[in-house]
Amino acid sequence: MSYDINTNAKFSDRGQGMFKKILVANRGEIARRIMNTCREMGIKTVALYSDADRDAVHVLEADQALCLGDAEPAASYLNIDKIIAAARETGADAIHPGYGFLAENADFAERCEQEGLVFIGPPSRVISELGDKTIARQTMTKSGVPVIPGMNHPESDPEVLVREADAIGYPVLIKAAAGGGGKGMRVVASADELHDACISASSEAAGAFGNGSIYLEKYLTRPRHIEFQILADSHGNVVHLLERECSIQRRHQKIIEETPSPAMTPELRKKMGDAAIAAAQASGYVNAGTVEFLLDEDGSFYFLEVNTRLQVEHPITEMTTGIDIVRCQLEIAAGNPLSIDQKDIKGRGHAIECRIYAEDPGNDFFPSPGKIVFMKEPSGPGIRNDCGIYSGFQVPVEYDPILSKLIVAAENREEAVHRMIEALREYVILGVRTPIPFLIDVLRSEAFRKGETFTDFIGCHFPDWKPERADVETAAIAYIIDELAGKKERPVADNRGGGYGSPWQTLGNWRP
Amino acid sequence: MEYRLKVDDTIIPVEVKKAETNTMTLSFDGKARNVQYSRISDNQIHLIIDGVGTQAFIAGDGDEKTVILRGVPYEVRDADLSRQTRRGKRGPSAMPREVTPPTPSIVVRILVAEGDRVNKGDAVIVVTAMKMETTLTAPFDGTVTKINVVEGDKVMPGQILADIEKDEEEPTEEQDGLADS
Repeated sequence: MSYDINTNAKFSDRGQGMFKKILVANRGEIARRIMNTCREMGIKTVALYSDADRDAVHVLEADQALCLGDAEPAASYLNIDKIIAAARETGADAIHPGYGFLAENADFAERCEQEGLVFIGPPSRVISELGDKTIARQTMTKSGVPVIPGMNHPESDPEVLVREADAIGYPVLIKAAAGGGGKGMRVVASADELHDACISASSEAAGAFGNGSIYLEKYLTRPRHIEFQILADSHGNVVHLLERECSIQRRHQKIIEETPSPAMTPELRKKMGDAAIAAAQASGYVNAGTVEFLLDEDGSFYFLEVNTRLQVEHPITEMTTGIDIVRCQLEIAAGNPLSIDQKDIKGRGHAIECRIYAEDPGNDFFPSPGKIVFMKEPSGPGIRNDCGIYSGFQVPVEYDPILSKLIVAAENREEAVHRMIEALREYVILGVRTPIPFLIDVLRSEAFRKGETFTDFIGCHFPDWKPERADVETAAIAYIIDELAGKKERPVADNRGGGYGSPWQTLGNWRP
Repeated sequence: MEYRLKVDDTIIPVEVKKAETNTMTLSFDGKARNVQYSRISDNQIHLIIDGVGTQAFIAGDGDEKTVILRGVPYEVRDADLSRQTRRGKRGPSAMPREVTPPTPSIVVRILVAEGDRVNKGDAVIVVTAMKMETTLTAPFDGTVTKINVVEGDKVMPGQILADIEKDEEEPTEEQDGLADS
């Protein structure tokens, strides 16, 4: 098998070469997480930011930071010309796209290739072929990987979509051909809802990916979402880093992920892992990627899509395998061969991730932008928080509502669940609403404890969730004490604005 | 000193019996509770209630405070202070009276023009917040008299994005005291 590795030529020629400076074309927690590994490897980092993000965490921690201008994504984080110019200006040799924004944009990867910049991800041709979910379906069918019944071509004509939906049989799922992260996805139960749902899905897809193409798939009502992390180098080596189960979703977006899957057996893992590697090989994959499957109740599994990027939920795999996936991405992009064999990859214990969004779980997970008034992160053995906020940070309305990802690992699933519940109880975020109380209740539920995790989990077990407020008296006591026991010394005139007084006001009787 | 606190939807009468430095006795419905406390920061208070320690995290002012206890938020108000400022129930169950976004948002599409007739429930304006689109609908049958925004505008809850003049109402069985006020 041959690979198109022109982009990496200058590094593979050098053998063990490594980048000197990486530009991270993303924001928030993921930009910060990528830069952490860069720093460990002695690589300089460049952050980019929009007008809304001047004070975002990724800007604060980068060696260099460049402003892209207007907060509107098209003018900033999706603006290829500005990003390439920033890489030129700062002398970066590679660009890491993170997830979302341009991470799965083949034009961007191609532009990097043309400009002699290394795109940390697969070659543009692979992104383009897999990024179009319908072409990916064709590729997988040809190499014997099972796919969900549905369309193999995108379509915009509502008449044709209605005919296709009739042929597939309702319920159908509208998906963005360029999609990911649940954007542009709609479940449609009957023909009369199809037209409006297609228009709204297409508009949302166009906004999120710059491409409004959609297609239809049969909607499986009660599957599990199981995915395999893969690593493929430019020398033809491919391994998988075991599975992740991401069945707990709201609005088709994952909110709790775990590894290993409670549904997995060694035999099924072998079969699905082999299929994931076959999928990677069939597409000529290079770099880190994720092969997503749906596992039906009868034990059959179907290829869903390949995510040609670092996944939001990659940390749980890192926790159980001990492998830094971002480091692997950089090594692969620099042309170095994988240093691990499949037989070396062992998962130890159990890891869970909870996504902490700015949203109101008691109001249909509606977005809740605002200012983080106060924050306290949990800590302790086996706890990791990939966090994109801090006390005082204004959460912008323009971008994805993810605030942080809380990850725990423990010896087994039961201990990991307890550890996560306690970590969530310790995690304080004031100023915006978060799903923390909801996540606690999900993890405490019998269905979750028993591993009965299917993609309809929330609709099935928590349709009209409200927090259980067991301790109203303590809340009342806290209110009264907050009223009566004055805040720390602070000028009276300034007690609403959240600012702090100057030392001349607050130091009291202090004398030098 | 007596308080009538509203915790979410429950009214809790509390009497502060005795208050000294960092200690307090409160009475809930005749049941006394001894509280020792220490303010750790503007947003953090350590409590020892009848000998059991816990932490409370608080934001907000006298009108409404959010108190987080072991991961669970409680909205606490002084029922006597907030009676006149009380807002309607939030959430999709509450019927909006105006075309206004539920959270800070950006206008992405305007689906009607001034002079258009709309029926209750018709899509009027689409807004987006944090990449999620929400369609704002006509709260009643009527005529669009004015569009107050353009696509791309940043808008806030309470801001009226389109004025809709309600149809002259036939006298019906439905009580509708608030709509036209």
